[in-house]
Amino acid sequence: MTIFSRRRIAVAAVTTALLAASACSGGGDDKGGEAASNELTVMAPLFGTAPDPNGELQQAVEKLIGKKLKVTWVPNAEYGDKSNVTLASDKIPDVMVVNEKSPSFVKAAEAGAFWDLTGKLDKYPNLKPSNEQTAKNSQTNGKTYGIYRVRPLLRSGIVIRKDWLAKLGLKEPQTTNDLYTIAKAFAEKDPDGNGKKDTYGLIIPKWPGNYASASPYDVVETWFGAPNGWGERDGKLVPGFDTPEFLKANEWLRGWVKEGLVNPDFATLDSANWNDPFVQGKGGMIIDVNVRATQLLDLFKEKNPKDFDKVTLVGNLKGPDGEKHSYPFTGYNMVMAISKQHVRTEDQLDQVLQTLDKLESKDGSILLTNGIEGRNFKVDGQYAVPLNQDDPKVKAIQNDVDKAFIQLGTRASVGLGAYALRPNDEASRAMREKFDVLMNEDLKTAVFNPALSIIAPTAVAKGQTLDTIIPDARIKYLSGAITEEQLKAQIKRWYDSGGTDIVKEVNDLSAKAGG
Amino acid sequence: MATDLVPEVVQPAADSSRPAPAAKRTRRARNLPRDLFRYRWLYLLLLPGLVYFVVFKYLPMYGLTIAFKDYVPFLGYSGSEWVGLKHFQELFTGPDFGRLLFNTLLLALLTIVFVFPAPIVVALLLNELRVNVLKRSVQSLVYIPHFLSWTIVASLTYLLFSVDFGVIANWIHGIVGGQKTDYVAQADWFRPLIVLQLLWKQTGWGTIIYLAALAGVDSQLYEAARVDGAGRWRQFWHITLPAIRPTIVVMAILTSGHLMDSGFEQIWLMTTSLNRDVADVFDTFVYYIGITQGSFSYATAVGLFKGVVGVVLIFGSNLLAKRLGQRGLF
Repeated sequence: MTIFSRRRIAVAAVTTALLAASACSGGGDDKGGEAASNELTVMAPLFGTAPDPNGELQQAVEKLIGKKLKVTWVPNAEYGDKSNVTLASDKIPDVMVVNEKSPSFVKAAEAGAFWDLTGKLDKYPNLKPSNEQTAKNSQTNGKTYGIYRVRPLLRSGIVIRKDWLAKLGLKEPQTTNDLYTIAKAFAEKDPDGNGKKDTYGLIIPKWPGNYASASPYDVVETWFGAPNGWGERDGKLVPGFDTPEFLKANEWLRGWVKEGLVNPDFATLDSANWNDPFVQGKGGMIIDVNVRATQLLDLFKEKNPKDFDKVTLVGNLKGPDGEKHSYPFTGYNMVMAISKQHVRTEDQLDQVLQTLDKLESKDGSILLTNGIEGRNFKVDGQYAVPLNQDDPKVKAIQNDVDKAFIQLGTRASVGLGAYALRPNDEASRAMREKFDVLMNEDLKTAVFNPALSIIAPTAVAKGQTLDTIIPDARIKYLSGAITEEQLKAQIKRWYDSGGTDIVKEVNDLSAKAGG
Repeated sequence: MATDLVPEVVQPAADSSRPAPAAKRTRRARNLPRDLFRYRWLYLLLLPGLVYFVVFKYLPMYGLTIAFKDYVPFLGYSGSEWVGLKHFQELFTGPDFGRLLFNTLLLALLTIVFVFPAPIVVALLLNELRVNVLKRSVQSLVYIPHFLSWTIVASLTYLLFSVDFGVIANWIHGIVGGQKTDYVAQADWFRPLIVLQLLWKQTGWGTIIYLAALAGVDSQLYEAARVDGAGRWRQFWHITLPAIRPTIVVMAILTSGHLMDSGFEQIWLMTTSLNRDVADVFDTFVYYIGITQGSFSYATAVGLFKGVVGVVLIFGSNLLAKRLGQRGLF
């Protein structure tokens, strides 16, 4: 008891109490505009381990932009949740990679938490939108709240087991009918030759997104002639699911499920395990983005480096009406928005935009997408060739590029801008080249969503309860849990729970935005 | 324990140690300043705990005010507009309320009927085991699932019950035949699976407190009963059960406060497009509208409603317990 005298304990207890009290009063301090000017705070998604803030790559980037960079890297899986929580806090970073259509961002932006960049970007050569359609897609009710991060405008495709096609003597599909024939053959004609009927045609996972989110269902509906999200019918914009083509496409797919042409666990298969049944030889087709083809190729190569050329990629298909309708993508993935919390004046905004302009310059894009030339890669014609990957320091640079910094690029991305990575083998090179050929071909028949930039206030207020109605009903219908009548009743339920207002608002806002 | 020859001190009956409450209260009030001074060091020791509760449990309650505002983060707590009971009105008249309440209460009912008694039964069964090694190893084994996260439990469930490759699903299919049932996706199987998961994960852990209560039963009582000719069943009915009754009552009261908590992680992980109608509960609803949708005020209103119901239930069941002649929690 001599060491811990009573007085000492008393002092300790009071200190504890004070510490706890002061901890709660913290957080209110404000950095102020001036202090922040030589530092840029950013929030961006992360696909692996976070880069070292003093790492070689970060230092190179800081040298280029002439400012200290403070990036909050958030794992991609929880990026949506984390951005919503960040938007609710008083710690919004200066530059935030954000989904500009998410209700909480729209609310925050409309309340004035972010800069309206409409018409302000043309001054900056590297921030100026390079594609009209994409620029329009990334707007929110006619306003530009961020600099879009470019992606290929069309990535949809069908990945098919090449060796199964050859074994069964089938050709690559051109029409939806061809696709059905192939699926049927994959399910019933024993493509793996083990004498058992243990395969299926198409693999579909539990889709994490809602309606019109590039799911296999959305793509098939577009092939059948349904609008992509929203479409004009009788001079009015209607949601894509309120069209006969939507019902027809799903009736067709329902037949697939019933006949066992689709994996039986399509409602629950984790989308992270989407490749597994394909590589394991359980299913032979995936409708998804084209890069899945190279992914699968790599997986087959891992399994058997001598015999891996088992994947082929096919573009969009002709529907039952004999016409081809292709499913385009939005051309971007999230935008970089600038918060008003620390960037208060137009001058400060100009400074931030100038910094970003440097970041997105040619040199910046190469830093963000390829790394440091001569350190982790060298240039060989149009390709980047990895260098010294056995050196742990170089490996760290490569990791920082691939898993993190590439996310800060708005003009360069996978296969766009900067240098493309030189493919490892002939098969992947051929596949990569196919991407552009198929994209340019399919873009001719792309069905764009005319209401992509329009956000109805009712959708912001009630979106969460409305958004699940249609995709849930679709899955239930496909699985046979409900009839077509009940599916129609669910569509009516969507209208009754606020959809009617959304349709009206979308039409009004779209007329105001000039189509 | 039964062969223990050393007589233990007979515990005084609990009620005899309680002085008349009214008299004690006035005396306590009068002596409060003096007691405070006299036990000042003890009170000082209490301080950190008190501060913890004030700082982390009571002060944040200020945030509940946004349930009555249209909270826009950019405008802050004070800048957002007061809207009164708008969000509560929206909740109670909204299209989801009935379904959410039904799902939440039904799950709570299933939990009370199947999950609450399970640890009691297991504890009683373990208590009857006479081979100590067996008893202890079983005890340790049934604890283990408690330490697994819900993510792992959900993944295991998918692995075991998946319609494509689920071991148990295929096994049942082999016995029953007919069409394959998709246990993890179908709405009809959602609640049974939730209850099964809860039983598997929580039963073992729950036995600890009952086993502790059972260990405190005076072995002389059993000896006396045996002398009087009581069999195993009689001993159980007249000694064991009354001995752990207070524990059961306290646990029941504590559980009642969580009636509206369905366990967010578990439900959220098990929700699919096919079972959402039966899976949506208040906990997941708060997540969807608050975190996903960004309607912070509405989500807070739902959470506050849940909290109020929880408090009412705790007080209600405490009162009920007292009415039924048990010693309540407070």
